[in-house]
Amino acid sequence: MQKKTRFTALALLAIMMLAIMGSVVAQDDVTITVWSWRTEDEDAYNEIFAVYEAANPGVTVEFVPFVNTDYNNILATGLTGEGGPDVVQLRAYGSLQPLIEAGQLLPLDDLSTLENFTPAILKGSQGIQDGHIYGVPFGVQALGAFYNVGIFEELGVSEPETWEDFIAILDAAAAAGYIPLANPAKDSWMLPILHDAVAAPRYGGPEFEAAVLAGETNFNDPNYVASIAVLQDLQPYLPPDVVGVAYNDARTLFITGMSPIFIGGSFEIGFWQSEAPDIEVGMFMVPPPPDSLAGSFVPSWMDGSYGVNALTDSPEAALALVEWMGTQEFGQLFTDKIHQISPATGVVSSDPLLAEFAAGMTEHPASYLLLVNFRYGDPSGTTVLGNELQRLFLGEVTPEEVAAALQTGMEQWFVPANTE
Amino acid sequence: MTAITGQKDEKRSQTARRRNTLMPSRLTIALFLLPAFLLYTIFMIYPLVQALIFSTFEFNGLVRGAFVGLQNFEQLFSRYPISEQLPRAFVHNIYFFIGTMLIQNTLGLLFAVLLHRPRFGKRFFRTVFTLPYLISPLVVGYLWSLMLNPLFGPVNATLRNLGLGSLARPWLGDPATALPAVILVNAWMWVGFPMLLFGAGLAGIEDDLREAARIDGASNLQIFRWIEFPLLTPVIGIVTVLTFIGNFNAFGIVWALGGVDGTPAGATDVLGLVFFRTAFRGGADAFGLASALAVLMFLFIFTVSVLVQTWFRRLESRMQ
Repeated sequence: MQKKTRFTALALLAIMMLAIMGSVVAQDDVTITVWSWRTEDEDAYNEIFAVYEAANPGVTVEFVPFVNTDYNNILATGLTGEGGPDVVQLRAYGSLQPLIEAGQLLPLDDLSTLENFTPAILKGSQGIQDGHIYGVPFGVQALGAFYNVGIFEELGVSEPETWEDFIAILDAAAAAGYIPLANPAKDSWMLPILHDAVAAPRYGGPEFEAAVLAGETNFNDPNYVASIAVLQDLQPYLPPDVVGVAYNDARTLFITGMSPIFIGGSFEIGFWQSEAPDIEVGMFMVPPPPDSLAGSFVPSWMDGSYGVNALTDSPEAALALVEWMGTQEFGQLFTDKIHQISPATGVVSSDPLLAEFAAGMTEHPASYLLLVNFRYGDPSGTTVLGNELQRLFLGEVTPEEVAAALQTGMEQWFVPANTE
Repeated sequence: MTAITGQKDEKRSQTARRRNTLMPSRLTIALFLLPAFLLYTIFMIYPLVQALIFSTFEFNGLVRGAFVGLQNFEQLFSRYPISEQLPRAFVHNIYFFIGTMLIQNTLGLLFAVLLHRPRFGKRFFRTVFTLPYLISPLVVGYLWSLMLNPLFGPVNATLRNLGLGSLARPWLGDPATALPAVILVNAWMWVGFPMLLFGAGLAGIEDDLREAARIDGASNLQIFRWIEFPLLTPVIGIVTVLTFIGNFNAFGIVWALGGVDGTPAGATDVLGLVFFRTAFRGGADAFGLASALAVLMFLFIFTVSVLVQTWFRRLESRMQ
């Protein structure tokens, strides 16, 4: 009996010694775990990180994606203890703040590759309280109108230059039996997108943004109210019973050729290509509605960034990886393999539609106003406007009431710069 | 007399002594109860107490801040828009409960009565009616949102093909029909549950009572009204309490049908959705506020359930 115990103890000791020696030997090899919400991009990211691994011997990058809708909760838990990731994909603007305020991310202000991004883009990964940068941006999204080139040819129309052209196209499509605009209203998050893509010129885009942030005006501004009324004018062209039409119904209307136009974000491009490869899709900026204060815009926002877990075991290797993710090399790989717009300077997209969005963004820049500036508190601007626009389409409220509700919601937490 | 009572006393003490030798010691009982008690404490009591504690603190993301007393509770009723959403959701939960009682549980009782008298097909129909609640509420929700889709859904298509096109509606897109549609879909899913409980209740009523009534000349309807229905009171009580708890905690099916905001325009918003939005879509201080809401929901559901149960028990004893 005793002999046996002694033997076991010795064996255990030997195993432990071996384990310690093993870890000493393996010290040069680092594995960096990257968490992400893009399950669909797993292969692409593995190819991208293979490039990094080849250039940095001894570093292994492990890409671990989670289901998009669960990601925030998984990440919130993963950042609090052991077994968490080293590098994390981060949401942008307001959605990022809870992690920053909880001190769960390392500030990245010293990374040299941050120079590759404009201040407007970096705002998406900035702490609203402390002003530090906590993530290296990976993507941007932009808004515009997609159209079915085949149906446009059949109707004998081309990309609209003026609001009259735009309405004429919608009328022609309706006359030919199409649902002119495929857009949904059951998923309320699509409504602020429709509003900004169509009506940003009506309220004045960046000039209004500056004024509202400074407290010189607010959402009850007659021009903002009028921009909401523009959507009312478009309602006859939307699907019947639009508040019952869901996001995926609307995308189906577009890819089955039942509807020639879908107004939405550049993130749809991948879906059009995979689900409707036979349909030739074009893109245009919706022309300015009557009485607009400015020309057309391609409203855009920073989609997300990569940051470093404050509790990482290998901060140096993690920072090095994140720094590389700010290079033009990474940006080019990202846009080529994942088919999204990279915000890094010098990256050119090979996809014509993406390139068009990217060019539009630089030539006619504007922020997607409510997402970029009004998601820092509860309720968020996009949520309030989405729910209220639903009620507008149901005939329950007027554009004035929609704007007033938005203003009331934002007053709960938003303090304009001048009154601070 | 005294002799007899003395004998009785002795007998009683004998049985007591025998019981003592057969009964395991208190320690043994405690040991047997321990695993269940531990599991229950860790997974039920502890989170409840935790939520109660959380609800009195300020939060920064997941990090707990200062003690704020009842401020989170006060915020629930004063901060826009939750101050407007909460009463609306509460009213919807009440509608949901009343609608479910009227439709799902009445139908469940009807099916139970129809399937009670043994005829062929009894087991088949019981299985058919109980099948839907084996499916996840999310699946049922998505299934029905496809069925009720105004553009591609078979419900409206069928109505149009039958020449009833004027009845076709955007069922889940019209505030007037959205909540009733949710109630119906939920009833479709759960109708087998009250049916099984009522069926068991009916089977527990002795046939002698029915026969006696029949000899007295009672019709089937009279037997149901005056014999079976009153004797089902305990089951009705259980079904009512379970329906109440289920409806006030409803989340999955409502979420699948109306989304996280309770579309259209909040017409299907319920407390479960308000809680989810507050906890996972709220600002940095969301956890305290959401915990406060969870505590209130628990207290309300618990109190009402206890009251309803007591009331039914009193009703039962009065009938006996």
